[in-house]
Amino acid sequence: MPAASGKRFKPSKYVPVSAAAIFLVGATTLFFAFTCPGLSLYVSPVIPAYNAVVFLFVLANFSMATFMDPGIFPRAEEDEDKEDDFRAPLYKTVEIKGIQVRMKWCATCRFYRPPRCSHCSVCDNCVEEFDHHCPWVNNCIGRRNYRYFFLFLLSLTTHIMGVFGFGLLYVLYQVEELSGVRMAVTMVVMCVAGLFFIPVAGLTGFHVVLVARGRTTNEQVTGKFRGGVNPFTNGCCKNVSRVLCSSPAPRYLGRPKAEQTVLVRPPFLRPEVSDGQITVKIMDNGIQTELKRTKSKGSLEVTESQSADAEPPPPPKPDLSRYTGLRTHLTLATTEDSSLLGKDSPPTPTMYKYRPGYSSSSSSAALPHSTSAKLSRVNSLKEPNSICESGHKPSYRSEPSLEPESFRSPTFGKSFHFDPLSSGSRSSSLKSAQGTGFETGHLQSIRSEGTTSTSYKSLVNQTRNGSLSYDSLLTPSDSPDFESVQAGPEPDPPVGYTSPFLSARIAQQRETDLHGRFAGAASPKHAAPREPSPVRYDNLSRHIVASIQEREKLLQQPPAPGREEDAGLADSGIQSTPGSSNAPRTSSSSDDSKRSPLGKNPLTRPALPRFGKPEPPPALRVRSLGSPDQPAAPHLGKSVSYSSQKTASQAGGPETEEVALQPLLAPKDEVQMRTAYSKSNGQPKSLGSAPPGPVPLSSPTRGGVKKVSGVGGTTYEISV
Amino acid sequence: QVHSLQELRRSASLATKVFVQRDYSDGTTCQFQTKFPPELESRIERQLFEETVKTLNGFYAEAEKIGGSSYLEGCLACATAYFIFLCMETHYEKVLKKISKYIQDQNEKIYAPRGLLLTDPLERGMRVIEISIYEDRCSSGSSSSGSSTSSSGGGGGG
Repeated sequence: MPAASGKRFKPSKYVPVSAAAIFLVGATTLFFAFTCPGLSLYVSPVIPAYNAVVFLFVLANFSMATFMDPGIFPRAEEDEDKEDDFRAPLYKTVEIKGIQVRMKWCATCRFYRPPRCSHCSVCDNCVEEFDHHCPWVNNCIGRRNYRYFFLFLLSLTTHIMGVFGFGLLYVLYQVEELSGVRMAVTMVVMCVAGLFFIPVAGLTGFHVVLVARGRTTNEQVTGKFRGGVNPFTNGCCKNVSRVLCSSPAPRYLGRPKAEQTVLVRPPFLRPEVSDGQITVKIMDNGIQTELKRTKSKGSLEVTESQSADAEPPPPPKPDLSRYTGLRTHLTLATTEDSSLLGKDSPPTPTMYKYRPGYSSSSSSAALPHSTSAKLSRVNSLKEPNSICESGHKPSYRSEPSLEPESFRSPTFGKSFHFDPLSSGSRSSSLKSAQGTGFETGHLQSIRSEGTTSTSYKSLVNQTRNGSLSYDSLLTPSDSPDFESVQAGPEPDPPVGYTSPFLSARIAQQRETDLHGRFAGAASPKHAAPREPSPVRYDNLSRHIVASIQEREKLLQQPPAPGREEDAGLADSGIQSTPGSSNAPRTSSSSDDSKRSPLGKNPLTRPALPRFGKPEPPPALRVRSLGSPDQPAAPHLGKSVSYSSQKTASQAGGPETEEVALQPLLAPKDEVQMRTAYSKSNGQPKSLGSAPPGPVPLSSPTRGGVKKVSGVGGTTYEISV
Repeated sequence: QVHSLQELRRSASLATKVFVQRDYSDGTTCQFQTKFPPELESRIERQLFEETVKTLNGFYAEAEKIGGSSYLEGCLACATAYFIFLCMETHYEKVLKKISKYIQDQNEKIYAPRGLLLTDPLERGMRVIEISIYEDRCSSGSSSSGSSTSSSGGGGGG
């Protein structure tokens, strides 16, 4: 049997079944030998006969449950799985009596598991209508042998009750003279019977309920239908009759292979094709056609799904290599709308849960990133911030220009947008960065696993090979844009979520790019769908530029106060340092400008208490700047340093904005600031400055330090 | 071997396979989708295909039917401690034999002449009906892929 191939003899798995057999046969034999003669003599000969019948029944069912094939599916052959693993969705849905049921891809058996089928890890087989793996019979209980297992439980309960009862009768009524041996043996048998009665009866009761409800143990234990409707039930009576009275299902394994006696020989007959029947097959060359096709519903959509998906997942490579994820996302709507006769093909919605089963590292981290694209994007953005706090700066810096460069790589066209992350060496460092890094890290790990040519189809769902798919990271509208713009660098979409891992240099580059293409179609286009992201690079660039300009203006005013203020600000924050008490008007105003929407107090300068350290070396700050800042470096060094706390542009952005324009402030800036705080936390570390620490909201109010609460509950100390 | 004859004779090669999936809309009862696969568009009439699948579905429904005969069979099996299974065929197995015969019949009469071949779903664990599509391949020529309409359709052999 293919299923059993390669298995070594493991004695441990035979222990329970052996023990069960020994107890059963042994105790019953003792009962027959020691108790029954007396009973038959003095009570009735029917007793042993009855017990014998019951015992025979128990044995027969026990044997059938143990040795019968539970309904193992044979492994699918190669040709059933035409599709490249990496591009196939992990799940397919079918509609069963109005209820959506998910079929999971079984990597071992290489097919989508039919409903109620499950893969037994002990037996390493997919079993039809899998109930559970029973160690006492050392076999899976499935469609074919569930009946025997159930009857075994019933008969065993009956048998135990009989043995115990008749033994009790024997002992209590002292049926025959008190022979020490017989009495003792009967007592022992009774003890054994009594001991086993409780679990066996409990299990029997449990299965009676399951049969009545039409559920399997697997479904009951995993809570599949908790609070929901079970699509597999036909009512109590029908369920019971189905279990007990249906004809035993055939086994799939071990069948004699049918000889193919029919010869196929040309010439072949062809059906007449009328004009009306000619179907046009659209060959996809891009997302637009794909979109149209999938949205058009109708026969093309249907037939494509039928044939292409046939057994294994989706469609031919050239068509959907890039957009299978998108396609499934799109087709979900259509297929759900269309007839519900188990169209199992495309409908793997991008709303699918992310199944950690196959992925190794990303399981926990990935969970928040499942479902909608927006959600994943937002999460991806937020998580990096928290990660930044923990100070993964070094890893950031080790990841120069990961995004922009690779994004423009010529290989982009071939695979999905995350071709960028194909640098294996970086992937390892990123991966170690962990946390949100998981996204890029994971992708990179995938890439480094050699899946370079594959696309990350159905990215929200996990793909069959366990890789995470990331098209959900971009809203569907993004992808077409991506494709249409083609190999042109489009840092915008990935920017949002990969930003935390970009070093300052990347930020520089990014800003230059952004400036360069600020007016580009891409950015606004991508900005729009990425509404939830708190940080926007296009905005940042504007702000950065503006902030720098303003900064210059400000600094041309009293330099001394400016410097001090800068020193205070140097920690890339609005300073709260008691030391720098004279907050220069200029900087304060610049800060205020940032803060005005927040505090409405032009004279107050919100302090980012975290960055209490004044005067970091200008050089460091300059380095941390993005490119726009650099030209103004000397002056702006200090101020800009705080403004560009962004190792990622994100961090820097808000802070420059703090310096920058007040009109540019928006609620999102608040978020940015907050995120900047977290980023800045890391920043000072890397700069060798004061530990980020928790926001020292508790910093003492010295003379001339005001506390201002900003939007979002943040409190700033402003030195007046 | 008479090589000259073989050269005259045209051979068929397996081009591709189509898989007709199970229809789970009614639970786990065994039935297959009657949706017509596009690959067969130019190979067989829609009606013939649908009829085949519908007949198969009917057979499976009959096999899984819970009625008097299956109940009696169960009782008998219980009474004989399932030794009866050594001698007798179950109802399901009997219907499966009928199905096998039917498929072979269909293959001979309808599918093979069109360069198609049905495979008993039982071999695949009743998950799919596999339809193999053959292409005409002249012994000297190369095979064409997919279900493209070849010009051999009308040509005479030999």
